[in-house]
Amino acid sequence: MLRIEIQSAPPVVKLLCAGRIVLGVEAETLRCMAMSRPERRVVVDLRRIYAMDAAGLGLLVELHCLAQQRAGRLTVANPSPWVRRLMALTNLKSVLQVAGSAATEVTDDDEDERQAMTA
Amino acid sequence: MPEASQSVEHEVLRRQFVFTGDAAAMIATRDSIMDFLHQHCADEHQEIDIMIALQEGLANAVLHGCRNDPSKIIRCAVDVTPQAINIIIKDPGEGFDISAATDSTDAGTNLTEHGRGICLMRGLMDEVHYRHGGSELQLQKLRTREP
Repeated sequence: MLRIEIQSAPPVVKLLCAGRIVLGVEAETLRCMAMSRPERRVVVDLRRIYAMDAAGLGLLVELHCLAQQRAGRLTVANPSPWVRRLMALTNLKSVLQVAGSAATEVTDDDEDERQAMTA
Repeated sequence: MPEASQSVEHEVLRRQFVFTGDAAAMIATRDSIMDFLHQHCADEHQEIDIMIALQEGLANAVLHGCRNDPSKIIRCAVDVTPQAINIIIKDPGEGFDISAATDSTDAGTNLTEHGRGICLMRGLMDEVHYRHGGSELQLQKLRTREP
């Protein structure tokens, strides 16, 4: 089960996800939700995600690439310990922009996103 | 719906699942297997580890072993012993090059939507082995003995 709360503050939209992002309905729900947004910068908050699989990780990469094609940006915010573990196992920290974890700084250039992430 | 059978021999509880090679049947089978394993997992963390690894194995069998063809059959055997939970997944495919499937993920250069399942399985389970060229997958998760 996946619940998504949308917080829009153009040009940034924050998608607060709760539950799991796995192959099937959950991954498709997040895909449709993210792709339907007009905002150029998308923040996917994963602090309340307790399970994710390769399909969910692949979706983050897909959304990252799509955002780049649109001259936008995808940020993975506040990954839960589970998500951080999976990203480490699959070396995704070098591929995706991740913020809100202890090892990552948010610069002044990301003020819009920082406000969105901490709201 | 997946077919299932069960047997008990010398403290080994075994269930066999047979399902068609399409995504819908795979998801239903994943849920059936996890319903069975729920009571045998040490805790929620172990249960989630097994669920994700299991799903990766089943998804690969459907996608690569069966090309999402519902006319093909996948067999999954789940053994619960005092020491471990063992899962064997067999698909009718011809197998694959395991190193080619994982190289870019291992290098941190994988920008595709695919190719992370094997890395996840290796990180979440205690043992991961492919046999018969890749058409058979064996997963093992050691059990924590209850005090």
